[in-house]
Amino acid sequence: MRKTGILFRAGLKSNFGLALMCHRWFKEKKDRWILPIIAASIAGVLPILSGLVILIQRTYDVLQPMNQERVLLAWGVLAGQIAILIFGIYYVVSAFYFSRDLEMLIPLPVHPYEVMLSKFSVILANEYLTIAALVLPFLITFGVLSGGGTGYWINAVLVYAALPVIPLALVSALVVAMMRLVNFTRRKDFFIFVGSISLVALAFAIQFLPQVAGNENTTVADVAQFLSSRDSLLEKVGAFFPPCIWAAKAIAGGFSEEGLKNLALFLGTSVFFFLVLILAAERLFYKGAVGLSEAAVQNKPLSRRELSRRLSSGRRAFSAIFIREWRIMVRTPIFFLNGILIVILLPLFFIPMVQVASSPFGSSLRRAAAQEGSLIIILLVALFMVICSALNGASSSAFSREGAQFWISKAIPVAPRRQAAAKFLHSCLLGIVGIFAAAIVADYVLRLKATVLCTSAGLALAACAMMTAVGMIIDLARPLLDWTNPQKAIKQNLNVLLALCTDIGILTAIFFGVRALLRAEAAPAVVIGALYGVLIGLFALSYAALLRFAEKRYPEIEN
Amino acid sequence: MIEMVNVSKSYNRGRIQAVDNLTLIVPAGEIFGFLGPNGAGKTTAIKMIVGLLRPDTGRVIVEGFDVGRDALRAKQIMTYVPDYPAIYERLTGLEYLNFIGDVYGVAKEARLQRMNKWLEAFELSDVLTNPIQSYSHGMKQKIALTAALLPSPRVMVLDEPLSGLDPRAAFQLKDLFREHCDQGKTLLFSTHIIEVAEKLCDRIGIIHKGRLIARGSIEDLKALRSPERSLESLFLELTDK
Repeated sequence: MRKTGILFRAGLKSNFGLALMCHRWFKEKKDRWILPIIAASIAGVLPILSGLVILIQRTYDVLQPMNQERVLLAWGVLAGQIAILIFGIYYVVSAFYFSRDLEMLIPLPVHPYEVMLSKFSVILANEYLTIAALVLPFLITFGVLSGGGTGYWINAVLVYAALPVIPLALVSALVVAMMRLVNFTRRKDFFIFVGSISLVALAFAIQFLPQVAGNENTTVADVAQFLSSRDSLLEKVGAFFPPCIWAAKAIAGGFSEEGLKNLALFLGTSVFFFLVLILAAERLFYKGAVGLSEAAVQNKPLSRRELSRRLSSGRRAFSAIFIREWRIMVRTPIFFLNGILIVILLPLFFIPMVQVASSPFGSSLRRAAAQEGSLIIILLVALFMVICSALNGASSSAFSREGAQFWISKAIPVAPRRQAAAKFLHSCLLGIVGIFAAAIVADYVLRLKATVLCTSAGLALAACAMMTAVGMIIDLARPLLDWTNPQKAIKQNLNVLLALCTDIGILTAIFFGVRALLRAEAAPAVVIGALYGVLIGLFALSYAALLRFAEKRYPEIEN
Repeated sequence: MIEMVNVSKSYNRGRIQAVDNLTLIVPAGEIFGFLGPNGAGKTTAIKMIVGLLRPDTGRVIVEGFDVGRDALRAKQIMTYVPDYPAIYERLTGLEYLNFIGDVYGVAKEARLQRMNKWLEAFELSDVLTNPIQSYSHGMKQKIALTAALLPSPRVMVLDEPLSGLDPRAAFQLKDLFREHCDQGKTLLFSTHIIEVAEKLCDRIGIIHKGRLIARGSIEDLKALRSPERSLESLFLELTDK
């Protein structure tokens, strides 16, 4: 285990760039300006978190009289575990099999399980940070509202510590077995695509199936009976994944018999999955990992005619850079997930969420949406579209994604402003895909009028263009180019978080502006016109700033 | 022609002097080699020539264009191959060459002709449609060299170009260097292998701790001490201070 600890520490330092960060801050005395920005960014997220806490609080107030409040804990746990299950496959596959340190680790005198455990632990550490914003508001708010004692808080810490283990071990064991048994090593990207899409389908099934089961001939009496028994909602939500029921009961039960029994069940299951993983690692890990540097290629000579046909007949530099961006994003699984797949999937995740409350909530939404020129609906739909389009890391990693290859962009005879413009178009198009996907979902759920949809989409497009330029400026200010694993360029890139916080800040400011206009009883056309004016103005400013900044910054970046 | 005038570059807030007041002229039609031990400042000097690093002081001029002030024009007539071929691994070799051809504005006919020549010479034709990710280190080096040759640049700058190449490709590259400079073009490369510098270069500059401590033809350098002594012993003597 000592060796695992050494590997874990090395992996942790490399993963979070701790050694490099310390070197920059304390030795080179560079990048210190980032500390207050990080603090300000965290402060910027607080309004969103407080919104979530208020929502949880209100839901608690509704559920508590019906003895159904413990379902909140299950929702928190389930949300965290589903997120890990879906995104985990990318992290597991890239950390276990496609990270460049593997060629250095395999020859070391350590057991396969020790290497894998160290990698597993690093992912685990990552996941604690990733799911904190998703799970902790549920655990903390519930604890405060229910007056949880020592037992509650200790169990909550234990459950949180063990929370990522089951989904991660499940994904890891599956990946290790698949890599060993099936010759996916030669089709690794294909494997990641199929695997992740299967897990996304599974996540959808988890959301849809309970509704399908519950929708058959349900009467008011059935609903009343259903809600009269304690934790019926919890049992229903957790029916497809019992560990979340155990987790909820363990936390809420504290040191009571029920609490301890469920805690033992949850921790025991986690340990069981962990042991299965160790067993699979020792037997299968290296067998799947060896030979990974081999690639699935067939040498196919091109005839002179074929070569001539496939030669570009002289694209403009702008198009060449745009096509390069597109190809690299589509062909790098982690970029594809965080840049493209997420903008398509995110709106789809809202369909089941809305249908959960289909009868009263869905129909009231539709009624509101059907009102002629409903300003609030236009603004809400636009906000939904903006969230769906902005929640991808494409713009805020536009320069970082080039990594060690950034020298090419510096060496080619293409003006930095043109390169930045091509990258802008690429990132903006991804945002437009998100707006389009969100528009389809919004229309499906709310049956919107074409005018409402178009007005919202126009607003979202202006906001998306502005946010794209802002995200690119942030990334250009401090591009992360020294990565060895593409995951670091987009998923673990602080610029993505900084851009997100800046976006939230801008949206919050716009929200207050709109609220002031509404309080002043401005006409809907005036509000929308003002919004268009502000967003287009901000876009023009940020785009011009981006192009100017590119000219200044490119020569300064040394990698 | 490449001209470096009083060029200096330091790292870590001046604590590490990578290049110290370097002045050098490489005339058109010459193969010039930077020779020096590891960490001597060769790569830093080369990166300043191609505009990847900015000098703290001094100027770099390529074919009359100041690399700092007139960067685009200087880049248009110059190509560079780094010591480690970090190129777009997710593109195929053909896509990468097309990209380079597009950004340098190489016409289709010229592109086809040059690609046929170099792909055949470097035995890359069979793997052209495979992703660069699947290439060996040597193959990546060859595709980077082919890309650098594609625009037929007036100035080529190469950092350790022979590392990772098989003997046949290395031999062809030496021929290529000569052919390139016989057309009146300029070539500057770095190496730490004395035999390579001795066989290929019209002139050599020995760089040590960021300073150019000797320069001239092989004969000139040998004459610095005694003509009977080898370049290797001269190099060891000069860099042992």
